[in-house]
Formats: sequence, structure tokens, C-alpha cells
Amino acid sequence: MCALPASQYFDAGPEPQRLFPPCRSKCPIHIDVPGYLMMIAEGRYTDALQIILDRNPLPSVCGRICLRPCEDGCRRCNVDDPVAIASLKRAAADFGAYPNARPDRPRPERIAVIGSGPTGLTVASDLAQRGFQVTIYEAKDRLGGMLRYGIPNYRLPDYALDKDIDHILALGIDVVTGVRIGTDVTLDTLLAEHTAVVVTVGLQGSRALPIPGADSEQVLSALPFLEAAACGEKIALGKNVVVVGGGNVAMDVARTARRMGAEHVDVVCLESEDEMPASDDEVQEARQEGVTLHCSWGPVEVAAAEANVCGLDVKRCVSVFDVDKRFSPKFDEDEVRRFGADTVIFATGQFADVKDLGVELTPRGGVIAHPESCATSVPRVYAAGDVVTGPSRVVDAIAAGHRVAMCIVRDLTNDAHPLAALIEESNALGEVPQSMKSKLETRRRVQMEKLEFYEAVNTFDEIEVGYTEYEAAREAQRCLGCTTGARLTREKCASCLTCLRVCPHNAPGVKVGGFLYFDAETCHACGACVSQCPAQAISLEGHSDAEMMQRVERILYEPGFDTTLVFACGCTPNLPAIPGDDVRKITVTCLLRVAEATALKALQSGASRIALAGCVEANCRYPHARSLVAQRTAKIAATLHQLDMDKALIVPRESQEEDVHLR
Amino acid sequence: MIVMRLKPIAEIREMVSRHRRVLLVGCNTCAAVSLAGGETEVETLVQTLRLASAQFGPATEFSGGMLQRQCEPEFVEKLDLEGFDAVLSLGCGAGVAFLSENEGIPIYPALDTLFIGAAKGLGSWQAECSACGKCVLGETAGICPTTRCAKGIMNGPCGGVKDGRCELGDRDCAWVQIYDRLEAQGRGDQFDGLGDTKDNSVNSMTCEWDMNPQAGGSK
Repeated sequence: MCALPASQYFDAGPEPQRLFPPCRSKCPIHIDVPGYLMMIAEGRYTDALQIILDRNPLPSVCGRICLRPCEDGCRRCNVDDPVAIASLKRAAADFGAYPNARPDRPRPERIAVIGSGPTGLTVASDLAQRGFQVTIYEAKDRLGGMLRYGIPNYRLPDYALDKDIDHILALGIDVVTGVRIGTDVTLDTLLAEHTAVVVTVGLQGSRALPIPGADSEQVLSALPFLEAAACGEKIALGKNVVVVGGGNVAMDVARTARRMGAEHVDVVCLESEDEMPASDDEVQEARQEGVTLHCSWGPVEVAAAEANVCGLDVKRCVSVFDVDKRFSPKFDEDEVRRFGADTVIFATGQFADVKDLGVELTPRGGVIAHPESCATSVPRVYAAGDVVTGPSRVVDAIAAGHRVAMCIVRDLTNDAHPLAALIEESNALGEVPQSMKSKLETRRRVQMEKLEFYEAVNTFDEIEVGYTEYEAAREAQRCLGCTTGARLTREKCASCLTCLRVCPHNAPGVKVGGFLYFDAETCHACGACVSQCPAQAISLEGHSDAEMMQRVERILYEPGFDTTLVFACGCTPNLPAIPGDDVRKITVTCLLRVAEATALKALQSGASRIALAGCVEANCRYPHARSLVAQRTAKIAATLHQLDMDKALIVPRESQEEDVHLR
Repeated sequence: MIVMRLKPIAEIREMVSRHRRVLLVGCNTCAAVSLAGGETEVETLVQTLRLASAQFGPATEFSGGMLQRQCEPEFVEKLDLEGFDAVLSLGCGAGVAFLSENEGIPIYPALDTLFIGAAKGLGSWQAECSACGKCVLGETAGICPTTRCAKGIMNGPCGGVKDGRCELGDRDCAWVQIYDRLEAQGRGDQFDGLGDTKDNSVNSMTCEWDMNPQAGGSK
């Protein structure tokens, strides 16, 4: 709305949203998932990437290897499949442009970050963004920590990691590689040169089992093995490899061994298949690549013959945990077996290797850091990430990085707000109610193209090819937009009940006195009510008429000749044939988000004509909106007809749908 | 509620053709509920008139604004017309008239005021009352003959009724409906008592209403 001479609405704004969508709630760093999915659905990858980067400095990494707690929370889980949130994050990183670094005004404080894994990169990014002078000290030759040296290239290729690291370093971060703090340089030296030091070295030691033969020559540890693979070294493994361990690292080791030429790879683990800590996807993919899994076996001895390993002797494990869920394996000594092996690789856990650092450690060797302030026993030295908490997911490591960074901001600037903003908790929205579920069309997840397993096993090339833009848009359209739906500006509401009449899910209700309210659990964020509200009292998260007007002005900013501006429904990323040489497109979640005023404004802003390209019926994300879209299109046509400008509107026929579900 | 609808654009443009800076003012009560004069409709009409002005001239500036109600002095006081030489009101007739009374520049109606009605559904209303000043709905089973009968007669049905439909073809016969509903309510016998002439002077002779005249008026 333009200037309001009547100032009674001046302060009016929508009520704040007090609920988080479960995807956001389950994400340790609370990324605004529906926000960036909507941007992807509208083909706005750079905007999507910006939303992700607000919370996650490693979108390209997390888009590939995050364990996706968000997807467990997705409210589509009890409708069909959860939305492929992580893969869409990758699409944002693949197709979006990383924004230019704009750090805050430089500050005098110098911060040393030891280690450049996900926690270290996050701390460095957060603090450099706030103007601190940050230097990363990394013992290895290249940055990335476990992301580079622990995660195999077929899951996270170097170029994908470098994309994120380059963006972080562009903030003006200094890097010192090949220096091990504690041995090459002491902590005191660092403290003399820096205001604060952050220890984020992770878990660099591989734990071996104390069994006879474990020191044989052909017994390897997971981390050095994966590091060698990441550096492109060839290791002679022989034909038969036995991997000991049941976690994701064991799966990575087994699959890497297959790629290094091992013909038979057996994974032996203590846990039963249900208890294994490895994620189901990893286990399944390992099996498809020809890895054999042997559960419930406990290693007894590495059998060696003339300095060479010839096998791993195991005994049956009856149970791993006692009644209190403590680790206390019980064995059946009578049931034994030997797995023949040329090489045995232990992937049985990691430990922190920081005894040279000079800070107080736990009995298990981790750094003791205060759970709230992240401070260690040495003043001005902070610690976070796996070195404090033990093994965790990458996204937890990022959360830990944010936390320690904001603790440092608080301690050095006395500003506690950023820290408070980080731990802001919100209740999550509940399940999709039955009434709404019956009105939702099931739409299966768009399957991503992958290398065939017989091909994949011969190379370290990335297995997942990534969504195409078309597939990403189609998948993002599946998002239910939880909590991004209708919000009321009470002061403006005229209680006309139009919202009540257009909502297919009965999300609006009336209280005594004629006051409207919206039920976030049933709202589908389709925007039907927003589009019909005469008082402009309803708004959506991430959409407003004012923003639409700005998009129109931006896209028409370059003058053209005989320009056609297409408003295209995001349900159909393929544009129907539109005549003319100068055709520009704005994709919207639903054509209902194009107000009549916006369409008419476009004709004043340089477009010779507008086209309203609706979606294919079978694809429509909001089927109930189709008749409203038709009504609106007819109204715009009628207005233009009254102005004798019928030719300024094109309503193209439906465009073709690509079938992305065939795979 | 008072129901309104937008006038044809050509008619609106003609009305304001001699002005150069026009303010469109919506009304957030009946006009908004009629989906004719809320903020959305004001914004749409502003864009329509700007487009027409840019395409065909004359060069007139259009802006928009809202009032909670155009028929209340306390709300109307807030209107700032500095720099405007005319107002297009997206309110009912009362709004246009009341603005005209209180402001020194011409006020034009962008809407036609149709009737006092009730919502049938989304964007659809039924005329129920003509504000005649002499309500007979108690006797006519809640169906207003002045409003719903095309002739507004008090002693229908007339000879134009066929199969319960009015000869105009656009509606059911109000008098047949009155008869049917009285029957359904078990008071069909009262139908014969209807048909007294109505005192139409109440409507035409009541130019204002002050509930406290003795105390020197409500103001």
C-alpha cells in the first residue's frame, strides 16, 4: 500500500510467529528450512543460499553429507516421504551465487583458531564476519579437517568443500598450515600474539583394539587409511580386507577399500544390525557396492602368518549393552570363526590427541571446557567440537562452533545478544492433522540421479550427481511451508470472513467478538486467504505484495523493446511457449501471489504485456487455488478490457511436465 | 451490511478527468467486507488509474489511503488532503456524502452503493433491506417485500408470477416465498392480513436521527 494519510495503521504489523517448523526445530543450528525451500521452489537459488548461509557456513558440505535430522522432523513423513532437504541445500550451493564477503568494521582483537574442521571453520567465519582478526592454524597441508581427510571423495569431493572454504576465507582470514600447536608452536606463544585461542582440533587419533596381533604390519587404522585415500595414495591391501567397526567411519573405510581394489570386503562389528550406529543409507550403499556385513562378532585376535595377516579370529557377541544401556559386551566363547584377510582395518573409534596442548583434559583425553562459557582451564583459551564432546555429527560441530564464537563475542565485547539469539528455543509444530492429511495429495520424493554401483565402486568420483534445477524445483514444491503460513495483523482485520471462506483446511477461525485467528497446524501456507483479503490484514512469511513489486521493478530495470513479463507458477518450472524476443520471467510459488495491482504495475514499469502462466493440473501444489487463480486472471482481463488493452495480457496454455519420478 | 461494487473504470476516469492529484480513500468497514473498498481494492484501483493515465492521459497522479470508517467524524478528522485536489471515495454513499460535508475539495464516488445485504458466500451477497424506516419483516416471515419484490408492492403476488418466479426472470417471487415461509412456520393464516399500505413518508421524511433531542442533542 502506498502512503497512508490515515495514520491509524502506522504501527500495525503481523503477530510474531512463536512456533518453529519441526525441520528447523530439529536442526541443531535452526536453519530456516521452509524459507529456503520456498526460494528454491521459485528458482531463486542465490536467495536460498543466503538464507542457509545466515546459519550454516558450509552449505555445499552439509548439502552432501549432513545426517539430516531435519528430514526426520519433516511433517511430510506421515503423508508420504520427507522432503529431500539436504539435497536441496546442495542445489542451493550448486546453482546459487555465494554472496560477496562483507565483514563488519574491523576490530583490534586477534583470534587464533586451532584446527579447520567444521567447528573451526564456523568459529573463524562467525568471528571474521564480526570484524575480528582471525588466523586458522592447521596441522595438515590443507584446510577442512575430517571433511577433507576423513570423508571420502565419493561422498564429499574436494571441489565441494573448497567452495565453502573459499567463501569463508574471503572474509579476510589468515591461514597457517603445517603447524601443530603444542609441538611446533606452544600454546603460550599463541596466547602472546592473540586475544583468544579456540581449540577445535576434533578427534585425530584412531583407537585400535588391544588384541593380539593388532600391531601386525597389515593392520591399519581408519583415519590414516582414509587420509591416504583422500590424498590419492595407493595402498596395497590385497584381495581380502576385513574392516572392524559398525559406524559410518567403518562403512567409509569398507567402501574406500573396495575402490582401492579389494575384492572381498567384510565388515565385522560387535553390534547387531539394529544396534549398529552406522546410518541406514550408508549400510545399504555399502552392501550395494559389494561389502559384506557380519554383525554380532567380537574380535579375538589378528591371525598372522610370517609377518603377514591371514585373518581375523572372532567370537559370537551375545549382547553389547547391559540393562542400564552401558557398554558391557557378553560373548559366547564356543562360537568362533575366522575371516580370512590380507589386511585388517580398525574403525573402532577415535580419540582426542591433545596432551601436548597444556590444557586440562578428561580421563579419556578430551579437553575440559565449561558447557556454557566454552572456557578451558587456561584463561583466554576456549574449546569446542568433538575434542570436547566426543564424536558428533557435522551439523553438531557447526552448532558448537557458533556457540563458542558467540561466547567469545560476549566475553570480548560485552554483547550477549548474539549468544542469546543462538539458543532461542521455539516449540515445534505438531504432526499434520488428519483433517489436513486427507486433503493433501501424496507426491513421492524426486529421486536423485546417482552413479550406478558397479561404476561407482571403481572410482572416487562423487556418487550423487545432484538435482537438476528442474528436479530441485519440483522437490522443493513438496514442502508444506509449515509455520510460514497466514499471520494476522489484528488492527487491519475487517472481520469480513473471506479467509474463512477460501481456506480449504479450515485454518482460520473466529473468536467471540468477531476476531479472526489462524491455526498454524492446519495452515498449508498456500496464500489463498492473503490473496483475497480486502484489508491486507494477512501476511505470509517470506512473501509480500511490496516484495513482489520490487521483484517486478528489478526484472524490468533494464529497458527492453516489446517486453513480455511472465508470471510463472513454480509448480511447472518449464515455461510454456511465449512469443517475442524479450521474454522475462518471475517464478512464484502460486499465481495467487501475484496481486492484481502487481500485474497492473508491471505494465507501467516497462512491460508491454504480461503473461500469467499457470501450472499443469496434475502438478498443482495447491489444487484448490486453481479456481481462485482463474477468477483473478479473469478480473485482470476484465480490467484491461475496460482500458481497451486486451492485448496486454497473455494466458498461455499449460506447459508440458517432465516426469522426474521415472528413475 | 451495506453492499457496494466498483463503477466502470471509464465512468471513474471521466469524473476525475479535470483533476491532477487525486487521493483514493478506502473504507475498512462495509466497503472492505464488500470486497469493493478495502486496502487491496484501493491499491488495485490506484494501479489501474495510473496505468490508464500513463497510456491515454491526462497526466493525473493517483495515491491511495484508508479510513477505518468514512462515516465517523473522529476517523474522518485523520484524513490529510494536503496537496490533493480531489478524492475518490471507495466507501458507500454515506461515506462520500460525509467526506464532502467535512472536506473542502470535491469527493467522487468510485463505488455504487447497492443495498443492505447478507453474504451468501465468497464475493456474493443478497439484498435484504432497503432502509424504508417502517419494518414489516415480522409479518412477512423475514422476507422484505420492499427489497425483494421487483415492484416493492405490499399486496403481492402480482399477476407476473409464474411457477413461483418473478416475471423479470432473475429472482423468485418474494410474495410466494413469504406465503411459503408463513405456511412452514404454521402461521399461513396471517397471510390474508397482509397488504396494508405502508407509510413511505417515514423514509423520505427522516433526514436525521438523534436519540437524545431533549437534552440538546447527542453531540
